[in-house]
Amino acid sequence: MNKHLKRLFDNSRIEFAARWILGISFIYASFHKIIAPADFAKIIYGYDLFPGVLINLIAIVLPFVELFSGLALILGIYPRPAALIVNGMLLGFIIALSINLVRGHEFDCGCFWSGQTGYTSSVELLLVRDIIYFVMGLQVFLYGRRRKACIFRSE
Amino acid sequence: MGYKNTAREIVILLGLAVIAAFTVNYFSPTGISLVGQWDESKGIITANAKDDVVVVDLEIDDVKIAKQIYDIGKAVFVDARSREDYEDGHIKGAVSLPVGQFDESIDAFHDQYSTSSSIVIYCSGRTCEDSHRLAHLLLDEGYTNVTIMIDGYPGWGSEGYPIE
Repeated sequence: MNKHLKRLFDNSRIEFAARWILGISFIYASFHKIIAPADFAKIIYGYDLFPGVLINLIAIVLPFVELFSGLALILGIYPRPAALIVNGMLLGFIIALSINLVRGHEFDCGCFWSGQTGYTSSVELLLVRDIIYFVMGLQVFLYGRRRKACIFRSE
Repeated sequence: MGYKNTAREIVILLGLAVIAAFTVNYFSPTGISLVGQWDESKGIITANAKDDVVVVDLEIDDVKIAKQIYDIGKAVFVDARSREDYEDGHIKGAVSLPVGQFDESIDAFHDQYSTSSSIVIYCSGRTCEDSHRLAHLLLDEGYTNVTIMIDGYPGWGSEGYPIE
């Protein structure tokens, strides 16, 4: 790995900030989806990517995976696995957004709250944001030194 | 740390999330069924939530039947969409009663149409719940003869039926 890049990836302050930024973002993102799962299910339907039988299950489970991985990152409970879960979700979001961007399908992204418009004009911005989050998640995952403020460090 | 530990901890985190998700969904007043109705050919799409507004009994699922009611000329067609959508185009002769402005509009509506009027509500089709929300509000106001044309304005327009 490039020396400068390695220094960034080994920086404990960056690791701490990345965990908190990702954690707060994911907890916030889960909030409205947990309160109004029916609205979130409709947004998932709007993506036009998932079979009907899975839509409700995704709407029920995904917000809690966001909430728990967000909490895990902030509290420092299994931070590496939490970062891996977050990056798995981000990869899913990036793929879903990209597919709909390519096929020009207009939809509500539903990223943070219901009714937030994610129409094609801003999908590029959403993608850039998710890619930045993904890099943050990667930093948390690859960080090899002692982490600040963790309950279960486990590595 | 080995991959085994990472995998184990992922399973723990995901397991807790899944247990919490189904527990909260079970007890939440806004919880949804495990399977929703996402086939537009079978009716209006819905997550089948506990607080769901969709009432199948009120639905007219064939736009041709709605046209027959329209042709008899005794029913009032009510547009539940926003005022802007109504002004952009609506079923000929329909009355605008946006569900979001119900409180402001209901008195004027009441003055013009008695609670025994035959009412057919529509919105934007099978992905739209506004007609059902409006139906509940009108039923609460004492209207007894309320139906919903679930194909909405797009379904009506695609048949070439009168619009303005």
